[in-house]
Amino acid sequence: MDGRARILIIEDDRKLSAALVTGIEGAGYEVKAASSAEEGFFLVHRLQPDLILLDLTLPQRNGLDILQQLRQEGADVRVLILTSHNTIEDRVAGLKTGADDYMGKPFSFPELIARIEALLRRVLPASPRRLTIGDLDLDSASRSAWRNGQKLDLTAREFDLLFYLSKNRGRTVSREMLARDVWQETSRYTPIDNVIDVQMARLRKKVDDPFRVKLLQTIRGIGFCLQEP
Amino acid sequence: MILGALWSIRTRLTAWYVSVLAILLLIFAVIVFIFQYITLTKQIVHDEMQDAVTVEGLLYFDGSGQLHLRQDYYSRPQSHLLVDRLMEVLDLNGAVLYRSDNLDCQTLGGALTPGEGDSSSNERIVRLRDGSRILTISHIHGMNGRDLVIRLGYSLRPLRDRMWQFVWLLGIALLVTILLAGTTGQWIANKAMSPIGLMTARAEGITANNLHDRLAVTNPRDELGALAAVFNHLLERLEQSFQQLHRFTADASHELRTPLASLRTVGEVALSEPRTAEQYRDAISSILEETQRLNQTIDSLLLLARAEAGNSEATSDDIALAPLVEEVTGMLSVLAEEKSIQLLLQGEMQSSFAVYGERSLLRIALINVLHNAIKFSPRGGIVRITLATNNTESLITVSDQGPGLREDEINSVFERFYRGRENSSSPGNGLGLSIVKLIVERLGGSARFDSVVESGASVVLRLPYNRRN
Repeated sequence: MDGRARILIIEDDRKLSAALVTGIEGAGYEVKAASSAEEGFFLVHRLQPDLILLDLTLPQRNGLDILQQLRQEGADVRVLILTSHNTIEDRVAGLKTGADDYMGKPFSFPELIARIEALLRRVLPASPRRLTIGDLDLDSASRSAWRNGQKLDLTAREFDLLFYLSKNRGRTVSREMLARDVWQETSRYTPIDNVIDVQMARLRKKVDDPFRVKLLQTIRGIGFCLQEP
Repeated sequence: MILGALWSIRTRLTAWYVSVLAILLLIFAVIVFIFQYITLTKQIVHDEMQDAVTVEGLLYFDGSGQLHLRQDYYSRPQSHLLVDRLMEVLDLNGAVLYRSDNLDCQTLGGALTPGEGDSSSNERIVRLRDGSRILTISHIHGMNGRDLVIRLGYSLRPLRDRMWQFVWLLGIALLVTILLAGTTGQWIANKAMSPIGLMTARAEGITANNLHDRLAVTNPRDELGALAAVFNHLLERLEQSFQQLHRFTADASHELRTPLASLRTVGEVALSEPRTAEQYRDAISSILEETQRLNQTIDSLLLLARAEAGNSEATSDDIALAPLVEEVTGMLSVLAEEKSIQLLLQGEMQSSFAVYGERSLLRIALINVLHNAIKFSPRGGIVRITLATNNTESLITVSDQGPGLREDEINSVFERFYRGRENSSSPGNGLGLSIVKLIVERLGGSARFDSVVESGASVVLRLPYNRRN
């Protein structure tokens, strides 16, 4: 045992499962995959994983049954449901059965990693008061930001956006995450994507344009990332 | 009524009709019978009275004081046989002075009752030994200084026989009438119901494949004509929604195929020959962008389905319009600023007008409308958002200074997957306005483009006051 958190993926779509294994391993976890409920159960008891990514529509057995049984056995494991059944009712049913989190397919991979990290951390870290990335400084109390000691003139929304990106420094943040966490939108639709893009362009104009080192990057097709180059 | 449920309507109608008729006829027959019986009985009493007076003159005492009835006045001896009168004469002491032979020594009513035949004729029925019933009257008659009580009676047998005859006659007439009524009733019911049979057969033949078929309306003014008309109207709406669904499915698969095609092509081209890492990255990014487009289309379709299902009670609430309009405007203001567009909030922004429904849905409707207006506005233009309310409804008008709509576009813009003339290249999936329309209509309101606007386009959302009951 090497101290890395163990993650078990129970998902019958082999392609998705394989991509998840590669991706999550790349993020530094020990990953095993099961393609059926039975195999999943077997691995749960053998591996004692810290977290399970659970698909709900499995052959022969519903994912919620598995979850229910796990909870009845009192297994101490975090469960993140991944499913294409994505209505509010499905969500509520999943969380009631004992899931810790719920993500609808298709999901954004960076967000999945962020959620996995959050679940494994168990205790939410207090939001830092001050953040520093390169020559960018942020103070959440006064809601101000500086670059190279120079105060940036940001709107409230721009500050929230920059702060969120800074908290996730080095990690790609998807539009879904921004819509939900910065704009507090429950669903994503075309106008909100436009709003995010425009807001991002304006933020970039203030944070990056006047300076030589560019911190904000657009990762095409995925989202945005704030990091030192 | 279990049996009744199994019968056809025409049989039930006939049965009801015949039963009512039978009951009425029966009541009628009983009344006629009673009337006839009373009349005939009165007639007998009357005859007896007359006969009593006749008999008075025929009675005489012979020399030995014996009372006799003169019988020698018959013109023919056999006429004597026709007289079926029963008679008894008593003195006031109750001694029998005379008794007709056909009484066969039986008394006609036994001992005298006080005052018998004096003030009234004491009509009564006396039963003889052989069971026959005699309608008897009494009559006091003074003769040779003596008061005699004459009791005179006729048998009721002929009356009974006549009444039985009458009952038989009535019964047969009743039966014949009911049979006739039943047959004609069934015939009339058949005739009245025959269009229903035709309609049933016709309607049975209508399936999803020939929804354009209609029922024949024979007489639009009668009930069946109205039924057929209503049914045809239903068919028409069904046909419309069927066509709509059909078109929608076709459009949806087209809309899903387009990004799929681009996904496939980008992937295939990328793999067709060795490329640089940069080129691969580019291809994968392009594929990811396309999946997002695909996902948004699916999300919009799901949103449509959700709006179509109507507002669920659990997530519905009173939505104050003014704050919602403000919130939506605030959210999209960054897009307007980017194009130097001025967003003007006008009208009754202090109004507390509220509608009952799902807030997130109405919010999306407003976002779509305003987003559209900003999208089509020229740089530096003005977008006006006006809220007007009265007691029963509110109007939210969003006007822009864009290219506007042609007359023929005013309605088709609300159709699913419709894209304007030149902007099939502009982002969006052509579902925005149809989502708006559906959401607003589910709240009991309507969405339309104002056709009298000269420049730009103006969307009017009408929302009725529909607070929770």
